[in-house]
Amino acid sequence: MQTLIRSLNHQIDNTVKYILLLLIFVCPGTSWPQVNPVPSSEVKAVFLFNFANFVDWPSTSLLSPGEPFIIGVLGENPFGSYLEKSVLNEKKDGHPLVIKYFSNIEEAKNCRILFINLQSPEQLHHTLMAIKGLNILTVSDAPEFAKSGGMIRFFIVNNKVRFQVNMEAVKDANLVISSKMLRLAEVLNSEGP
Amino acid sequence: MIKTVTFFNRLVRVFRHNEWHSTQYIMAGGSRVRIISFIFLLLFSLTSTLRAEQDTTSVTAALKKLSMEELMNIEVTSVSKTPQKLTEVASAIQVITNDDIEQSGATRLPEALRLAPNLEVAQVNSHDWAISARGFNAAPLNGSTLADKLLVMIDGRTIYTPLFGGVFWDVQNVLLEDVDRIEVVSGPGGTLWGDNAVNGVINVISKSADQTQGLYASASAGSFLQDHAAVRYGGQLAPNLFYRVYGQFFDQTNTLLHDTSNRDNWNMVQGGFRVDYFATEKNSLTVQGDLYWGLENTPTNLIVNGQNILGRWTHRFSDSSDLRVQAYFDHTYRNYSHIAFDDDLKTYDLDAQHQFSLFKRNHIVWGAGFRLMDDSVRNSPSLVLRDSHLDLILLSAFLQDQITLVRNWLELTLGTKLSSNHYTGFEIQPSARLAFTPNIHNTIWAAVSRAVHTPSRIDADQVFPSMNILNTNLVSEKVIAYELGYRVEPFKRMAISVAGYYNTYTDLRSIDIDAQSPSGVIFENNQRAQTWGVELSVNYWIFDWWHLRGGYNYLSKQFESTSSSVLSGSAVFEGIDPKNQAMLQSVFKLPKGIQFEAVGRYTDSLPASILTPYVPHYFSLDLRLAWTYKKFEFFVVGKDLLSSSHREFGAEQIPRSIYGGITCRL
Repeated sequence: MQTLIRSLNHQIDNTVKYILLLLIFVCPGTSWPQVNPVPSSEVKAVFLFNFANFVDWPSTSLLSPGEPFIIGVLGENPFGSYLEKSVLNEKKDGHPLVIKYFSNIEEAKNCRILFINLQSPEQLHHTLMAIKGLNILTVSDAPEFAKSGGMIRFFIVNNKVRFQVNMEAVKDANLVISSKMLRLAEVLNSEGP
Repeated sequence: MIKTVTFFNRLVRVFRHNEWHSTQYIMAGGSRVRIISFIFLLLFSLTSTLRAEQDTTSVTAALKKLSMEELMNIEVTSVSKTPQKLTEVASAIQVITNDDIEQSGATRLPEALRLAPNLEVAQVNSHDWAISARGFNAAPLNGSTLADKLLVMIDGRTIYTPLFGGVFWDVQNVLLEDVDRIEVVSGPGGTLWGDNAVNGVINVISKSADQTQGLYASASAGSFLQDHAAVRYGGQLAPNLFYRVYGQFFDQTNTLLHDTSNRDNWNMVQGGFRVDYFATEKNSLTVQGDLYWGLENTPTNLIVNGQNILGRWTHRFSDSSDLRVQAYFDHTYRNYSHIAFDDDLKTYDLDAQHQFSLFKRNHIVWGAGFRLMDDSVRNSPSLVLRDSHLDLILLSAFLQDQITLVRNWLELTLGTKLSSNHYTGFEIQPSARLAFTPNIHNTIWAAVSRAVHTPSRIDADQVFPSMNILNTNLVSEKVIAYELGYRVEPFKRMAISVAGYYNTYTDLRSIDIDAQSPSGVIFENNQRAQTWGVELSVNYWIFDWWHLRGGYNYLSKQFESTSSSVLSGSAVFEGIDPKNQAMLQSVFKLPKGIQFEAVGRYTDSLPASILTPYVPHYFSLDLRLAWTYKKFEFFVVGKDLLSSSHREFGAEQIPRSIYGGITCRL
């Protein structure tokens, strides 16, 4: 194979090379003006930003003046730089929104919103237990997330982002989700066991 | 001609080599060329990264302005999305969007297809159309045409009559409001699409029910299209369960024949529904159906009616892997009272398709299908098929592998379709496609494919009037197609696509002199042909308020008989095509909700055939003026304005016409 490639390489005709380079240079172009589907992670990042405005944290856990409102990501970052872009110059009740990335749940306890990018039920269970009782809005993509005690789970139906809310877990953390947001969510049985 | 063909062949070779070499820019090592190309590559990736950064900032900013409800309606793709279909990357695809259709003033599917620059679309009379790609728009016959080298699908349902191997365009009246897009691929789509996709594939894709919620009502009246009314309502039964129902009817009056009124007026009533159930993240289910009833003068009554129902279940294993299982039933009935001939066709179809990624570099699509066409005819004095009832079974399977040779740079797709049909048995239709994408604004592609057209009932079963000795030795018509294309965005807001092709056809249908036949002729496979041509299309968003789209086609073809018994005129019988054609659509969005649209077309002359007269070249112009006020839109459309009437395919003259109406969307 290597010899074949090399022999082909030797055959490169100067004219062909020239045409190729010309093509690339003459055609700088820009993106298609058509509306292309948006990456799901970008839409989810904007949802996370929106959640900051549609959820109320208890008055017992007020942030001190100037302290940032932290949106954290635990595990591998699936958002690229979308999260930074969506909170750029944004504030919640005067506190600047800041994105932080964590690999260990113990470091993530100062978050207000935590996106948990872990898939295995054991890891999820361990993580959720570690922050039980704290006023952290937990969000994830993991299939069993809401059922294993997480609060908000994103899922995709017909190429559109939807989310599920586990009311029980939200109440346990003393958080209040606005009714406007709840109307859009798929609410899991709030009666529960 | 031969010289040009040789030149074209050489061009194909040059480009194919070019593509091979381009891989070496990154794969091979050691030379000066490699270093230079690496620098260029770096520059390109840098500039495109910068561009991407800017783009995403503005997209994110735009998304932030939306309400959460609106956010939930944004169509998203997963990052590790399914590789783009190669039919889109490496083929001459043209897409007609819902907006394009609405802005053109088209009221029926064939009119909408005029917007695809890579199709030949000619209105034969009030209800019949001749539609083809890359030539072979064949002679008209009994209320349709023999054009048989195009595969047409509506939401996955193949619209095919085994009677002559083509499409009855009069009865394909989808509600255009609910059409999401129409994809038109010129060139053989043999690998994935099945038999008879010899010269092209038309794929009509309607919106899912959740995208058509609420009320749509439209009514119009005019001079040629006398009246047209359509109503659709879409609703939600459960959080993940959506539906829509629709109904429409129209009356269209006569064309002219020798400057006096012809008798080919017709009307049709149609209704249907669609239900989409997004059961879980991984499973979705679609059920849809239509029924119609119509009466056409041809010049006496032709009664048409039909029903169809389709179910499709899609299971997503992951972002790049899914399984789709689909079944449909289609009933088409036509009663030609003027020749006392009936055709009653029931089609049962089941197919499954599975796609997945393999070893990172391969994306496999494979599938299999079963189709039963239960066809019954009432033979008439002027048209007799040997078997008045025939069950035609079609078995097919396909396998395609899209191989990433160099990521984001060079992709090769190899595939083949295997099928078994009633008349010619086993057929194999392989293809190879290569797409070279030096950057996101330039794609060069090339393809070589083989496709077949299997005989239809009129070819293989007709015992009268053309023959009483049946030709049981008819074989499939074959094409080997060489294609080369280039898609580019030369600057912001403009997209250009050029495709060239060189096709060689063998065993084409011929009309041969046969002394033993009472009519003196018989169908044989004694023709060969070579065609070559160029298709150009341009989309240009000059300003936010002015959009131009247009195209130009050149077609050259050369027929050759392989037997001395072939009737002269046999070649024109198979292909009544314009050498040149062009179209241009212009859309102005003016202040205060006013829109002004124009569609201009030029079609070259058509030669006279055994069944049709010479048709002179013509220009035509359609204009549409619309005003949107709140939920209402008022419109007036003038069609074929440049002359009082013109001929497009046969002797019938299409009159200049006007219609106006009102649309309401709640």
